[in-house]
Amino acid sequence: MARPAGPRAAGAGRDPALRVTVALLWALLALFVLYPLVSLLARVFVDGGRMAPGAALAVLGDTNQLRAFGNSLLLAMLVGLAGTALGFLFALTATRAGLGRGWLAAIDAVILLPLISPPFTTAIAMIFSFGPRGLITYQLLGIKGFPVYGMGTTFFSETLTYFPIAYLTLRPVLAAIDANVEDMALSLGASRGQVFRTVTVPLAIPGLANAFLLLFAASLADFATPLILAGNSFPVLPTQAYLQITGLFDLRGGAVLSFALLVPAFGVYLLQRYWVSRRYYVTVSGKAGARTSVKTVAPWLRPILVTGCAAVAITIAYFYALLLYASLVVALGANHAWTWRHYHVIFTDGARAIRDTLIIAGLSMPLGGFYGVLVGYLVARKRFAGRQAMEVVSMLNYALPGTIVGIAYLIAFNDPPIALTGGALIIVACYVFRYSPTGIRATIAQLQQIDPSIEEASLGLGASTATTFRRVTLPLIVPAFFAGLGVVFIRSMTAISATIFLVSINWTLITVRILENMTELALGPAAAFSVLVVAIVYVVIAAISRLLRSFHAPGSASLGSVLGG
Amino acid sequence: MHIRSALARLVAPLALALGLAPTLATAAETLNVYSIWPENWARPMFEEFEKATGIKVNFVRFSSGEALARVIAEKSNPRVDVLFGGPVETHAAGIKEGIFEPYKPPAFAKLAPRFKQVDGQWVAIADDPLVFMSNNKFLKENNLKPPASWEDLLNPAYKNMLQMADARTSGTAVTRIFSILEVNGRDETKAFDYMKKKRRNVQVYTKSGGGGTLPVGLGQAGAGIFFIVDALDTKAKGYDVSISFPKEGIGTAAEAVALLKGAKNPELGKKLIDWASSPAMQSLYAKHKINFVPAHPDVAVEPSLAEVLKGAKIFPIDDAYAGANRKRIVERWVNEVLNLKE
Repeated sequence: MARPAGPRAAGAGRDPALRVTVALLWALLALFVLYPLVSLLARVFVDGGRMAPGAALAVLGDTNQLRAFGNSLLLAMLVGLAGTALGFLFALTATRAGLGRGWLAAIDAVILLPLISPPFTTAIAMIFSFGPRGLITYQLLGIKGFPVYGMGTTFFSETLTYFPIAYLTLRPVLAAIDANVEDMALSLGASRGQVFRTVTVPLAIPGLANAFLLLFAASLADFATPLILAGNSFPVLPTQAYLQITGLFDLRGGAVLSFALLVPAFGVYLLQRYWVSRRYYVTVSGKAGARTSVKTVAPWLRPILVTGCAAVAITIAYFYALLLYASLVVALGANHAWTWRHYHVIFTDGARAIRDTLIIAGLSMPLGGFYGVLVGYLVARKRFAGRQAMEVVSMLNYALPGTIVGIAYLIAFNDPPIALTGGALIIVACYVFRYSPTGIRATIAQLQQIDPSIEEASLGLGASTATTFRRVTLPLIVPAFFAGLGVVFIRSMTAISATIFLVSINWTLITVRILENMTELALGPAAAFSVLVVAIVYVVIAAISRLLRSFHAPGSASLGSVLGG
Repeated sequence: MHIRSALARLVAPLALALGLAPTLATAAETLNVYSIWPENWARPMFEEFEKATGIKVNFVRFSSGEALARVIAEKSNPRVDVLFGGPVETHAAGIKEGIFEPYKPPAFAKLAPRFKQVDGQWVAIADDPLVFMSNNKFLKENNLKPPASWEDLLNPAYKNMLQMADARTSGTAVTRIFSILEVNGRDETKAFDYMKKKRRNVQVYTKSGGGGTLPVGLGQAGAGIFFIVDALDTKAKGYDVSISFPKEGIGTAAEAVALLKGAKNPELGKKLIDWASSPAMQSLYAKHKINFVPAHPDVAVEPSLAEVLKGAKIFPIDDAYAGANRKRIVERWVNEVLNLKE
């Protein structure tokens, strides 16, 4: 496939550092992505030493499962489109509406929230607000019997949860589009609408395509949201797979249903590759002159953009205000007396979970962040055998439902020679290889905008690949690096579907405690834990942002906060 | 001892990170358990067990389906010794996978037949009847009394306001469906007709047995069918709910414990099963406000729980009948009731 990297890219043959890195990455991918999946497939298809795929595949013929498959595709498509549009709106506002620093920080802060949303608590907040006797639907609007369960709410909730991923992918891309290009178009007589349509959007295509791919795959694999909100009229495949395994005790059927999800995910991947590869997106050429201020957004459009963002931000803020409130009252909906009790509970009974989670997230974040840019960089810039295969393999764990990834890890790493169950390493590995694709896609999207000649100049002047990567490429893709870093950290603090199978008597996690609290009807501690997670994420992100800003030379890619700004 | 534990604290994280933990953990007198009982019940029980025997219990809690999926996946190298709690149908599914080591504790002979597996693959530690739970505010708004008959749940006033569990994932739901079969004299046509009518009033079938308790407590749903432990817990949390029983009768399910095949600490595991199946543990339910009905005949039901149960017609689900028909009935339920086309 024609890539801008093309014939000028360095080959693996001449570069030992590259060869070692590629070999190392393949070893890791083989161990932590392929080996578990193959182990699982063996368990599913081999019966008494013989291949017996028939029994397992029978589940695909079931009409209810086919309907669920269709629903999944529809939902993923809608979430992908709406989430990307919403992410684009926010990215456009952040980069083009000329907002002050304070406003930008506020947008970044609010946009982080849905990403942090620990499972189950937001769904409960939705039901509390929009249920048949919901705070908003019934008490405020007087609608009796609002159907809270179904496609509408699932779509709403998933879009709100995942659109920040699109924002994080798109913002660096929009920020990197040289304002001079838009200015030129304007001064050549194009209207603002034409510039937007013919310059800004086309140049953002790598970002849009990657954002859509990420959202599509995330929605396709999400099971927690539909588990609570989809109800009975709108079954989706990941939930069906989960029910098949934990409800009907049918691991084979569940695994087959999960693998079926890879087909559409792979299809969208090929589509976005095809779409992106047809054009040339370089706008960072190393020759850029003085930056001009961006004028593409008309003054009259600015309030509309800001209002749109504010409306979404207020919706998000409302859910978290409700969560905060639930953590401070005795029992939401029953006894609204103020209390600190729930916080006392989480810092005594939950202290171990907090410590374990912090250790694991602390280990996963740098590993995942670095792994993400490295894979993204190699895939977008270097030529080596199996490059596209690496890109695909690196996405696998992200595109599969967490339940199946968790069980695959459990089966693969329970017995010697590689017995990792019961330890922290297995959870860290799961996070790194499951949640780094955001960093990988963001890196690829951004590198497609940067002229390879900048790196070639460095290589030509005698720097090694490693030095060039560290001194030239890395600073250029810093926003993508932070996006990846941030997402891995946040997911490490909030993921549950895969890790429910990997926590052990030695290592437990805050999310597992939240789930436990929900089982015990202890909404208060569950909400308190969620608030704590939000606080930790903000503190950590702010701290790293500060630290990195002090390292960062002024003048290069501007870096307001860790996540993309 | 202190030095040792301090050392362990230093070494443990490193060893854990390297995946060596299980070898260390088994060195002391500790027992490893997957609990299906929520932590707020399991923890006090295991603390009492440690007080009584000096054996420390390490445990993690999972829902019954997740616990079973894990035990099956780990079967060639089990990470825990005992599967604790959970409705017997989870254990029945486990027998087929060959994950248990049969063991008959001293209390075995005294237990009623439905509280033990013939070979000792599992023994019951508690009994858990189903109840109707309804939101008082909802009842008042609609001028209803707490439902006292299965027929009451067909009242159009409940339209879209019932929540109960999904039979694919929840033992609560399976017990409920077999209760309905039982009160209809095992006439499947009649029972399914009833369930199809009731379907119109169901807002959602939740994935876990207790999934609907909070919505009913919050008034997002009007009523539902739950295990008594979950219903009484909702009430204890301060939610304004009523608990009632149908006059035709309602089923009950046993909670079980089982030793795992290949357990690293089988002797300690047996001690836990001995203790859990005896009055030693079951007489402690009341003290810790766990509203299970003891399975051991020598343990009296706690007075306030007995008060709730007074006059209620409760019958056991026939194991042989349920076991033989479960899969077929659940499939029929999925096709005819859950995916009802109207």
